[in-house]
Amino acid sequence: MPFGYHGRYLRIDVSTGASEYVPLSDTVLRQYLGGSGLGVKLLLDEGAAIMDPLAPEAPLVFAFSPLVGSPLTTSAKFAVVSKSPLTGRINDSLASSGFAIAGKRCGCDAIVIAGRAAELSVLVIDDTSVRIEPAAEYRGATCQDTESGLKARLGANYRVASIGPAGENLVRYATISHDGRHAGRGGSGAVLGAKNIKAIALRGTRRAEWANPGELTTISKSLSKRSFGPATAKYRELGTATNLLTFNRFGALPTRNFQSGTFDEAASLSHEQLSTTRSKTRESCVSCTIGCEHIYSLGSGGVRVEYESLFALGSLCGVSDPEAVLRASKRCDELGLDTISTGGTIAFAMECVERGWIDEPWLTFGSGDALLRAIDSIGSRRGIGDLLAEGSRRVAHAIGHNSIAFAPQVKGLEIPGYEPRALQTMALGFAVGARGADHNRSGAYEVDFSDKVDRRNLTLDAVRHAIDTEDKAALMDSMIICKFLRGVFNDFHDETAEMLRSITGWDVTADELRETAKRIVSAKRQFNLLAGWTPAEDTLPDRFLNTPLPNDPEASLSRELLNSLVAEYHRQRGW
Amino acid sequence: MHVEFLGVPRQRAGISQLEVHADTLGQLLGTLATQIPPLREFIAVDRLHSSFIANLNGDRFVSDPSTPLVKEDRVLILSADAGG
Ligand code: SF4
Repeated sequence: MPFGYHGRYLRIDVSTGASEYVPLSDTVLRQYLGGSGLGVKLLLDEGAAIMDPLAPEAPLVFAFSPLVGSPLTTSAKFAVVSKSPLTGRINDSLASSGFAIAGKRCGCDAIVIAGRAAELSVLVIDDTSVRIEPAAEYRGATCQDTESGLKARLGANYRVASIGPAGENLVRYATISHDGRHAGRGGSGAVLGAKNIKAIALRGTRRAEWANPGELTTISKSLSKRSFGPATAKYRELGTATNLLTFNRFGALPTRNFQSGTFDEAASLSHEQLSTTRSKTRESCVSCTIGCEHIYSLGSGGVRVEYESLFALGSLCGVSDPEAVLRASKRCDELGLDTISTGGTIAFAMECVERGWIDEPWLTFGSGDALLRAIDSIGSRRGIGDLLAEGSRRVAHAIGHNSIAFAPQVKGLEIPGYEPRALQTMALGFAVGARGADHNRSGAYEVDFSDKVDRRNLTLDAVRHAIDTEDKAALMDSMIICKFLRGVFNDFHDETAEMLRSITGWDVTADELRETAKRIVSAKRQFNLLAGWTPAEDTLPDRFLNTPLPNDPEASLSRELLNSLVAEYHRQRGW
Repeated sequence: MHVEFLGVPRQRAGISQLEVHADTLGQLLGTLATQIPPLREFIAVDRLHSSFIANLNGDRFVSDPSTPLVKEDRVLILSADAGG
């Protein structure tokens, strides 16, 4: 067993309560590292690609990493990996904090959950003992109430990841939440809900040893020191909310279901405006020196404000009332809903209402009341919410009228807050993304915001840059370190290889990590191929092709150009 | 030319825009570092720190200090890591 790992994963069948430790070879750990990479490898071994993701036998993986529990800043993270009930393709979502550390202290590098409990239950892992307890009293409870209730019942030293009502009701974009953070995208909450598991509570005492603790301490101190510098100033001082006005300035802020790239009332949702009218505190995940979480007051409590939630529940739905947008964001957190898919599906429905294809006249762009009502109906699957809980692609197929042309999704995953016509390297990243339209597995927007490309007139040269960001993301999500740290590295591959050497004792090099990243991206593709992927999926909805943005005639992306970018991407990948 | 600040540069500068005269991007950044001391942390002589970027007229992103500027230009200064 290498340093930094336990060399085994814990497999639990919640139908029977049976559990076993399964050895992980050094080769597998070195080839897939942990997090997303290890999760995908375990899913491939389980044959998950051809299973119904909501079937009892479909596995759900919680994968830790060699860095978890180390003094390296931002390393307290875990990946949740499964086949997505929203896309039918690979899904890996990351979340942070004490659950990652406690999970690894249970003496394993991953937890694989299969089966279906007979009744709503909590899975309790106490060091190396596993039990399943009834959880009927938490039916319908919010993620936060479930977490605090279970800590009161089991002990404050347990760490809890849970689903809200949306996960219980199998909303296809339900989240798994822990400590106010969410494994948000792709519906892992519905996968857990389908197993009748409301929450996982764990605590442990087993530490993985490090190969060279002295060197690790030196690296950690250097990284922490740099994390206080200019490269992370945006996250520390303003949070991601500051993207809103920047994107609006560049005509890249998705508005009214991607009908525009600018929102006239954007200023009312800006962090400047929110800061003048509300008190704000800052928090961070466990083991983080950056602290990017900006919590704004809301009623008697507070709500964490992120750009993706502001855009999805604000400009995308045409809602400019900050109180409504913040309440909507908080409600999503309580119900356990992915804010991007929630906002995307509601905005799409609002446009369908305008066109007379959905008969819900109250569901109009700009109405904060409608937004909040729609969110509650989705969480409970009542009324129109039962359809919207399926995500925009399935809604489009249900209502017809070729509405799929403007359903804001790729492979079924709703598009995050980057207007593809104004940010065309990102458009390529969305089109080819293994889990669908995604800004976390491809950082291609960084290329658009650089002098490497002309973001509205792309050439094939952009493809290698898009691949670089995707490979880098695959490494960060497998090692795992926070992407908000990415700007502090002088040489990303050299420095991450150094980290891994000090933890594992492997003679790993920067070049080896470059190969590892490609292997992990290819493993995701292999999963998708087995799940039925076809080349036709690597595209964007018709709305984005051949029609310029109304307010920016230069922001036009032809189908021909996108097709040639995608073909070049496949060629460079060797696929 | 007209300079616009977005995000952290705006917060540090304490203003959203100002008028500056400069013939090149490098000159402009040097002037900003002199006139607005809180921005010095982000400017090394005539270049922005790698986490920040300049944009010309909402179109082209530029980093070369010798990039010529004309009076009518609008130069935007912003964080380069625009996502999140
Ligand atoms: S930068 Fe933010 S998301 Fe990343 S680890 Fe720190 S607090 Fe968590």
